[in-house]
Amino acid sequence: MLFLLAWRNVWRNVKRSTIIIVSIALGLAGGLFAGAVMMGMGESMINSAIDRNLGHLQIHSPAYRRDALVSNYIRSPQKVLSLLDTLGSVKAYSARTLLEGMASSANSSYGVTITGVDPERERETTALVSMLVAGNFLADKYRTQAVIGKKLAERLGLKLKSKIILTFQDRSGEIVYMAARIVGLFKTESTAFDEMTVFVRQKDVTRLLGARKPLIHEIAIRLKNSSTLPATKARLASGFSDLKVEEWREIAPELAFMSTSVESFTYLFVAIIIFALIFGITNTMLMAVMERIHELGILMAVGMKRGRVFIMILMETLLLSFVGGMLGMLIGGAAIAWFNHFGIDLSAFAQGLEGFGSGTILYPYLPGVMYAALTVMIVVAANISALMPAWKAVRLKPAQAVRVY
Amino acid sequence: MALIDVRHITKTYNSTAVPVHALRDVNVHFEKKEFTAIVGPSGSGKTTLLNILGGLDAPTSGEVLIGGQNITGMKESALVEFRLRHIGFVFQAYNLIPVLTAIENVEFIMLLQGVGKKERHERARALLADVGLADRLDSRPSQLSGGQQQRVAVARALASRPRFVLADEPTANLDSESTTSLLDMMEEMNAKYEMTFIFSTHDARVIERAHRVITLEDGRFQEDKQ
Ligand SMILES: Nc1ncnc2c1ncn2[C@@H]1O[C@H](COP(=O)(O)OP(=O)(O)OP(=O)(O)O)[C@@H](O)[C@H]1O
Ligand SMILES: [Mg+2]
Repeated sequence: MLFLLAWRNVWRNVKRSTIIIVSIALGLAGGLFAGAVMMGMGESMINSAIDRNLGHLQIHSPAYRRDALVSNYIRSPQKVLSLLDTLGSVKAYSARTLLEGMASSANSSYGVTITGVDPERERETTALVSMLVAGNFLADKYRTQAVIGKKLAERLGLKLKSKIILTFQDRSGEIVYMAARIVGLFKTESTAFDEMTVFVRQKDVTRLLGARKPLIHEIAIRLKNSSTLPATKARLASGFSDLKVEEWREIAPELAFMSTSVESFTYLFVAIIIFALIFGITNTMLMAVMERIHELGILMAVGMKRGRVFIMILMETLLLSFVGGMLGMLIGGAAIAWFNHFGIDLSAFAQGLEGFGSGTILYPYLPGVMYAALTVMIVVAANISALMPAWKAVRLKPAQAVRVY
Repeated sequence: MALIDVRHITKTYNSTAVPVHALRDVNVHFEKKEFTAIVGPSGSGKTTLLNILGGLDAPTSGEVLIGGQNITGMKESALVEFRLRHIGFVFQAYNLIPVLTAIENVEFIMLLQGVGKKERHERARALLADVGLADRLDSRPSQLSGGQQQRVAVARALASRPRFVLADEPTANLDSESTTSLLDMMEEMNAKYEMTFIFSTHDARVIERAHRVITLEDGRFQEDKQ
């Protein structure tokens, strides 16, 4: 009956309760949606980085991770590759030769990472091929081809089929020049990547480096399912204690940082909304108490314990915030589901977003835990804001309160 | 042993610039089955006395014994429980919880006492029939007249099966017809349940109906007529 009483009290001022419920609902829905947009953006950045070149896991020699020198290659890559061939969780891998060097045209030159790949392997491991905007990916037909970012091509003043000069050091420190024909231009979601990456055929650089076998600096691994990441990583790490096996989080700590900071930011955002709500709710419940001094006096006079009065006021707020919270979850959830299905077209802001490495179509999403956490935050906050009014209510002296009309 | 034994009660309000002596050394007994009016001009201390009898307010000095038990100086939480178990209250107006129906208002006090659902309902129904509202069980207070609301309040006061009922000017907001019928009903309850009623009033017609009249003046006990 206490519940019934609280419920009816909530609805004695329909307009006021509606305002509170709607503001809680909209506050929560806004928070959920904003959170989902941020999470979606973060997820998109991570996925596109994984698709582009990271893969889920990468293997390097520890020395290469300290110092990106040609000589810090993986000494016996074949052992690793054979194991990868047997692992069911691995979808594909690409063993890459990485050379820090320069890309030059007649006009200018830029520092780049020259990535020597087996075109077929790379094609399976990353989605780079789908990011070509002109020409084709590396093929076997011609010698010394290069695929570069459209951005780099623009900076160098080069076009498809132009000649590009790549410069790097061999193992003995000698400068090596490589003249290549640009056969393809890619445009990824990361401007930085597009400016700094040149793909060439591994066999071309191997020859120029004077090596019999390719020098492998990096093995990028793509998994069938990202949930097998920890297990696969552990398997590889235990198999090759002399190598560094890392997941995308470690290779691109800025992505990992972003993914956690997006989460914290969402909570912060909701906390700010909540802060504003608390004032509104406190004020409303205070009004609800002040209007009812006489009635609360009667209740306490006839024998309702202070604790129960306190609970009744809290329960009224709990009901308000619960209804508001449910409604907010519904609105927020529906909006997220809708846009998760159809996407939000952000091409108007594409320029800015690509700098971040995020896609132009955004798919907001929110993990279940965050739904629950944010909703609980709102409901808890609502009740914190009812503490003061409830406390005011129980401090009333019944003898005096009943004299108030 | 007297049902209520009031010993040397004084009450001084100090919250005002000049202390108000609302009650000055009041001594009085109330016995079981009384039907007593406390009368006196406005400001004479009627409400103050009833509040002290009901454990809603503490006297400045003196003590109140109910059934031999001293309630003066009892802790607030114990007093709430005491009021719930032993004292019925009817106030001047707006006694009822507006969001509850008549029968729910009566049941509510039994709920606080922990009476089971079925018994609660039956007793509330019977009491509302007693006060002549058998057909208004599910009306909200706003749908009842002032007189009907006071009847529900009396039913609620009786529902807790108290030792006595205190009513502070229960008829002050009623027209003469409702006043008469409320008093008829209270007298009937007094007879039927041997329930003690102590009520304050200004109204000469109400005073006439009392079996005993206690007069206060300026916080002093003035006279006691049987
Ligand atoms: N909380 C209070 N603070 C200060 N003075 C008070 C307070 N309550 C009552 N008084 C004063 O105490 C005196 C007695 O008041 P009380 O309400 O008991 O009188 P009453 O006989 O019930 O009057 P009425 O017939 O007008 O209801 C009055 O002078 C009143 O102003
Ligand atoms: Mg009075």
